[in-house]
Amino acid sequence: MKVLDIALKDMLRSFRSTFALVMMFVVPLMVTGIMYFAFGGLGGDGGGFDLPVTRVQVVNLDQPALHSGFSAGQILVEFLQNEQLADLLEVTEGADETSARAAVDDQEAGVAVIIPPDFTAAVTAPEGSATITLYQDPTLTLGPDIVKGLLSQFVDGFAGTRIAVGVVTEQLSKRGVEIDAGLTQDVVMQYAAWAETLGQSQSGGAHPALDIQPPSSETEPSNQGAGMIGAIMAGMMIFFTFFTGASTAETIIREDEEGTLARLFTTPTPRVVILGGKFTAVFVTLIVQVIVLIFASAIIFHIRWGGPLPVALVTLGLVVSATGLGVLLMSLLKSTRQTGPVMGGVLTLTGMAGGLFTTGFQNLPAAYETITLFTPHGWAMRGWKAALAGGGAGDVLLPAAVTLGMGIVFFVAGALVFRKRFA
Amino acid sequence: MSDDQAIQVRDLHKDFGEVYAVQGISFDVHAGEIFSLLGPNGAGKTTTISMLSCLLEPTKGDARVFGHSILGEPIAVKAAIGVVPQEIALYPDLSARENLNFWGKMYGLRGAPLRQRVDEVLEIIGLTERQKGRVSKFSGGMKRRLNIGIALLHKPQVIIMDEPTVGIDPQSRRNILDNVKELNRQGMTVLYTTHYMEEAQELSDHIAIMDQGKMIAYGTHEDLVQIVGELDRIDLTINAESARVIEEWQATAGVHEVSAEDGNLTLLVDDSNLVLPRLFESATQAGVRITSAEIQEPNLEAVFLHLTGRALRD
Repeated sequence: MKVLDIALKDMLRSFRSTFALVMMFVVPLMVTGIMYFAFGGLGGDGGGFDLPVTRVQVVNLDQPALHSGFSAGQILVEFLQNEQLADLLEVTEGADETSARAAVDDQEAGVAVIIPPDFTAAVTAPEGSATITLYQDPTLTLGPDIVKGLLSQFVDGFAGTRIAVGVVTEQLSKRGVEIDAGLTQDVVMQYAAWAETLGQSQSGGAHPALDIQPPSSETEPSNQGAGMIGAIMAGMMIFFTFFTGASTAETIIREDEEGTLARLFTTPTPRVVILGGKFTAVFVTLIVQVIVLIFASAIIFHIRWGGPLPVALVTLGLVVSATGLGVLLMSLLKSTRQTGPVMGGVLTLTGMAGGLFTTGFQNLPAAYETITLFTPHGWAMRGWKAALAGGGAGDVLLPAAVTLGMGIVFFVAGALVFRKRFA
Repeated sequence: MSDDQAIQVRDLHKDFGEVYAVQGISFDVHAGEIFSLLGPNGAGKTTTISMLSCLLEPTKGDARVFGHSILGEPIAVKAAIGVVPQEIALYPDLSARENLNFWGKMYGLRGAPLRQRVDEVLEIIGLTERQKGRVSKFSGGMKRRLNIGIALLHKPQVIIMDEPTVGIDPQSRRNILDNVKELNRQGMTVLYTTHYMEEAQELSDHIAIMDQGKMIAYGTHEDLVQIVGELDRIDLTINAESARVIEEWQATAGVHEVSAEDGNLTLLVDDSNLVLPRLFESATQAGVRITSAEIQEPNLEAVFLHLTGRALRD
């Protein structure tokens, strides 16, 4: 009972502190709100999320003369100019590679796409290879990433063509039939026509290389942005949960300095109960913080966090790891003069190492992804991303278990240090 | 341990590495009395009561509070005592009532008995009207009173007060001293530490004088004053410290002790009426001017000076 009395007293003090409330609830939502606003979320129709249009200059150097009637380069240009991409891309054709690169350098275009002369030959030959050059404005991230994704999708589509040509060639060769260029061309054209028909039937008339999903509800247009905002919000929530964990655990040091901890030790209350009460306060405060942030962000930013069970599992892992790290961190410090700089430094570093501030970036180096695995933040982020993507309990089990395990190890170590200090 | 002994301290030691804070003190506090530990800062008073409050474990020795050993039964000892720490130990962002409620729960009070006792304590410390006010808005005296009130919540058999009047105004100090006497009148045993000789003199049934971790004297006020006999104490202020005049005064007939600090001198003498003219004469010859002189009857300050060669304020 005394454990709860101490926990409630600590929570009452925390929730009366304007600074604590701002850091717990306002700042994470505000930072996410700034991102939301920066990406046009507040300016779009119906509060949706609008990506900025990326200007693309395409230079088609493809020379399909030897394969009359079929030009993979031209198909790619038309694909990029597809009207369904008009909200994302503004595509113009450039005369040559030099002028296209100059357009990017002068910021007249965000991305230049250079289709090589042997593109058609490469996509139709079984062992063919060609490189599409993508030259981008280094200050942009989202637009070039979208173009890169579309090009990858397009080129992948032609892999099927190659396989078809390979299979036909092998089968006919077994029957002693010689394959000439005309026959290869026929196979390519027939496969392309079939793929296009199939794609149109599956995607409501869109180009087969495009995976444009129709909206399923009124809020659907914001899904792509909401996904990104969800990841940003998750990053902020994780960072500030760890901050609150350390900040609430700091009350042990503050009470030691204020003399109230010593006074508590003069009451007929075992020391383990006193420390247990203070640890409980950290845990419950973090639970409240995460729940409030989840509901508030769902209302404000329309973030769909996922099913109740995966969200509960990831929340548990996050809260336990933030409690554990907070207790461990504070157990190693002697005075509140140390806590501010150490808390700021350690939590920012671990947050960065855990990938909390790079949630909007794609294709991060593999080494960086590996580093994130060494921090509870990184695992928590994995858990939330899985939950945000609609994953089930099985998908979040590993990150939740790892954060839980890390948290328990941190907590036990911190509690032992505190126990020794106040023995 | 006899029935009338509230606290029995035996050969209590506390070392902090090479620092010997308390060096083998022993004393008894009788039930229902006010017992003062008197001594200058650093004498070991706070370390002693920290051990009696089970905050610090003794290096050697033991103490019993109403029969309970501080080593073997700390929870029983803590239930029997109420501690008023030297520094104000309150939650500034909680109200007076919230503070009392919380601390009452820590002493095991709940529900209606807790509410009733909180009301009583608020009345005792005179904060009923301000019970909902945040402690951070309170004056120093109000905080001191609340600091004491917390220790009264569970009606302890012994209240231990560590220099509760340090740094407060005379009116609040008077109020606290009156409260201590009232609590004692109601039957509570009080262990009081102070470096103010007047407080120990006014409050105490028994006094233990501590210096440098040792108990150098113990008894009633009258017993202790007997140590210096009928010596008068003269406090002098001179305009310039002079080793020569101090040496002359130490050699003057009728002077027993001289201590000097920053132009303030304290002398223990047989008869101030006879000695004082001789002091003025020596000072005049040495070219030193006496700017003030005060004569006091034998008191605890004189006892401390007699026993240590230093004034209590040092």
